[in-house]
Amino acid sequence: MVDLTRAKSRIPATILVLIAVQAFCAVFFVGDVLADLRDVGMGSLAELHFGIETIATLSLVAAIVIELQVLLRLLRRKAHLEHSLHIAGAAVQAVIDAHFDAWALSPSERDVATFLVKGLSTAEIAQMRGNAEGTIKAHLNAIYRKSGTRSRSDLLSLIIDSLMTRDASAGTPEAAEQPHPVTGFQDPGTTRS
Amino acid sequence: MDTVKVWDPLVRLFHWSLVLAFAANALVIDDDSKLHQWIGYGIVGLVLLRLCWGIIGTRYARFTAFPPSMSGAIEQLGDIATGRKSIHVGHTPLGALMIYNLLAALLVVGLSGYLMTTDAFWGLKWPEELHEIAVGWTEASVVMHILAVIYESRRTRVNLPRAMITGYKQFPNR
Repeated sequence: MVDLTRAKSRIPATILVLIAVQAFCAVFFVGDVLADLRDVGMGSLAELHFGIETIATLSLVAAIVIELQVLLRLLRRKAHLEHSLHIAGAAVQAVIDAHFDAWALSPSERDVATFLVKGLSTAEIAQMRGNAEGTIKAHLNAIYRKSGTRSRSDLLSLIIDSLMTRDASAGTPEAAEQPHPVTGFQDPGTTRS
Repeated sequence: MDTVKVWDPLVRLFHWSLVLAFAANALVIDDDSKLHQWIGYGIVGLVLLRLCWGIIGTRYARFTAFPPSMSGAIEQLGDIATGRKSIHVGHTPLGALMIYNLLAALLVVGLSGYLMTTDAFWGLKWPEELHEIAVGWTEASVVMHILAVIYESRRTRVNLPRAMITGYKQFPNR
């Protein structure tokens, strides 16, 4: 499956580095403004140069805060996309499994059919499973017979067709039980590190 | 409650000695005094000790346990954005970045401060400027560090300040 999110995965890192650089500048300028305030007193705020300097510094700080918010929103969107992709992937798998069940494939036929759907050639499947090509061909014949198809493209069209005609309400139970991708996204991620 | 021993005594002693020494030098003690210099040397010594302990120390104290990781930091920000709670037994990725930042900043503070006292650099302007900028950066980092620790403690329900005192992290039951 094409990873739709990978192309954008560098963006958060770039923004994070930019925020760090701007934070360094902001600390420098804020320190400068505070030092001036201490030396000259509050009256210096009335001076044009110092006033502009203060406003510029505050703008920089505000910009950093906004950037942080944008970054968090970006990450939230990315997590949402990944979650949706995950659900979609699981749904496709469920449809394929449902077909295999309906055709009453044997375990090894199931295996071969999965490789077939993934686009492997007969020779590749034979190599992956450590079988002779003849064995795989026999499995393939059984798969075509049970599914009522004549070729790989025939079988694939059958699966794709059923994916496209399914309406949303006929979603797999797994997909339906998932929390809402935007609001209910509360995976207790348990990655120990 | 899931209790894990994470911080060995040296890590804790290092942390709180550093807190005391840096606070004393930044807030209390006269910048031009001899004591300020000696505490500064003490801080550099503490940092160097910590660097050694990061190589030969206990499991969670070693740098290999918390390598600087951009992807890890992004992932932790993602956790914050989406409300996920990943368990980090040792340092979190963002926490690790702050540690390296603080260690480096303190070394710059110490080195620039030392240069101000040497004959070769005495009276020159730039070591003093560098010293002040580095101190400002360190102070801002300390404020960020404290705010982040409070925020993460509330978010993940793991009392991080207490862990740095007792050495044990207590994870809420899942």
